[in-house]
Amino acid sequence: MLRIEGLHASYGKVSALENVSLNVEAGQIVCLLGANGAGKTTTLNCVSGLVAAAGGRIVFEDEDISRLRVEDIVRRGIIQVPEGREIFTAMSVEDNLMLGAWQHKNNQRNREQLAQVYDLFPRLRERHAQFAGTLSGGEQQMLMIGRALMAKPRLLMLDEPSLGLSPILVQQVFDIIKTIHKSGIAILLVEQNARVALDVSSYGYILENGEINLHGPASALAENPQVHEAYLGGAAVRH
Amino acid sequence: MMSDLLLQAAASGVVTGCVYALVALSLVIVYKSTDVVNFAGGELLMLGGYIGLLALVYFELSYPLMFVVVIVAMYAVGALFERIPLTTVRGQRYSKNAEADLVPLVVATIGLGYLLKGAVRVVPYTEEVRRLPPLLEGAPIFIGDVILLKQDIAIIAVTVVVMIALTGFFGWTRTGKALRATSQNPRAAALIGIPVKSMRMIAWGLAAGLAGIAGILLSPKLLMTPDMGNVVMLAFAAAIIGGFSSLVGCVVGGIILGVLQNFVGILISPQAMAVTPFVVIMLILVLRPQGLFGELAFKKV
Repeated sequence: MLRIEGLHASYGKVSALENVSLNVEAGQIVCLLGANGAGKTTTLNCVSGLVAAAGGRIVFEDEDISRLRVEDIVRRGIIQVPEGREIFTAMSVEDNLMLGAWQHKNNQRNREQLAQVYDLFPRLRERHAQFAGTLSGGEQQMLMIGRALMAKPRLLMLDEPSLGLSPILVQQVFDIIKTIHKSGIAILLVEQNARVALDVSSYGYILENGEINLHGPASALAENPQVHEAYLGGAAVRH
Repeated sequence: MMSDLLLQAAASGVVTGCVYALVALSLVIVYKSTDVVNFAGGELLMLGGYIGLLALVYFELSYPLMFVVVIVAMYAVGALFERIPLTTVRGQRYSKNAEADLVPLVVATIGLGYLLKGAVRVVPYTEEVRRLPPLLEGAPIFIGDVILLKQDIAIIAVTVVVMIALTGFFGWTRTGKALRATSQNPRAAALIGIPVKSMRMIAWGLAAGLAGIAGILLSPKLLMTPDMGNVVMLAFAAAIIGGFSSLVGCVVGGIILGVLQNFVGILISPQAMAVTPFVVIMLILVLRPQGLFGELAFKKV
């Protein structure tokens, strides 16, 4: 579905990505793991068109999308949920969600979609009239995911959805990710929290200093001693 | 009677305050949607006034048609300025510091100001000082002891209509909401498919259109010269009083400033009027930098 082939990217003279290749098949959850500054977010931003690739190709359903504008990439159904709290703080929760459907003009269908998002996040329904800036961190994360769903994604790219959330909330968010996945949406998940990410994914890539250093089925990665050492707190080699 | 005098000063302060409010709103729309402080706001007002004059006197268009011509022409000027020079400057920048990237954009607006002034001076028509015919003519109207020109009533009416229209636009339309979203968080807006570049063009177009309307309203009251854009300082003061953030803030800021200026003229001295906006800007920035209506911005972590 999504194929990244030999992607290079740089900020000025500083190289951020070197020869990154990865695949997401339809219906898969794929995770991209790595430490801070490894280039995970840059990879997503290249796919979304926010950062121009310096080399390589990004192919979505047999179409090279690496030169498309951000809004045209969104139109093809690739929606990124960015890291942090990127919401419209001074607008209501409902306005935030409805803006997610900005490219879809059919108001009737957008309303139905909104009802589905509210079913998935009852908390957002309760707070629909509140300013988004008044939501808690976990609720803001849910709002961003809900807003992305309003855009009717075919591939959802989540950037560190667990960031800054309590363990219970992380579990909730990942349950929702599984539910979204079951509805047939492919997911590319960027995480520092390797344990939860590998748990829901079927395939994983590990990015180190801008290069893919390891990849394989998630279950194999979870048992790989190198991965354990670096990303899972070294539990396997501890005696 | 002193109280009559002050009442009259307040009334005419409200009228000029309306014009300041329109220009202030023009500055605020650009600032909020592109983070750029537009130093060409006054020159856009001046250009609007001259396009109106040309349409009315030279092409002999009717007043309503002239309004349409000015708004459309100014919208185009604003949108093109964003699309060509500003987009080019943005594309060339490279620094990690987003604030530093704004400096060339702000300088570009100063350049636009000089460009417009120069361009208008070249037109032979502007060598003489002229005056735009008022929207409404006729005997002044008495409200109690207060005298208002029909043009004053027209200014207030147009301002009210424009403000209602903009409130509806930003509050209820898809494009208006997308503009607000873009100004609050351009990155998030882009990622849900809102075309940020087009939004910036619309914002600049709207802002230039507003400045143009203010130009049409103000030109009958002032002598028209290519330097008339200096009134923009008053708009800056009005915007700062209101917190540089909201439509209501601009209106209230504009009216406070208009009235205050007239009171200073009567109670202190007419010479002091010119200094009023600067004193107000300084006082507000020192005592209440967020303005009367602004909130201290949500700081991004």
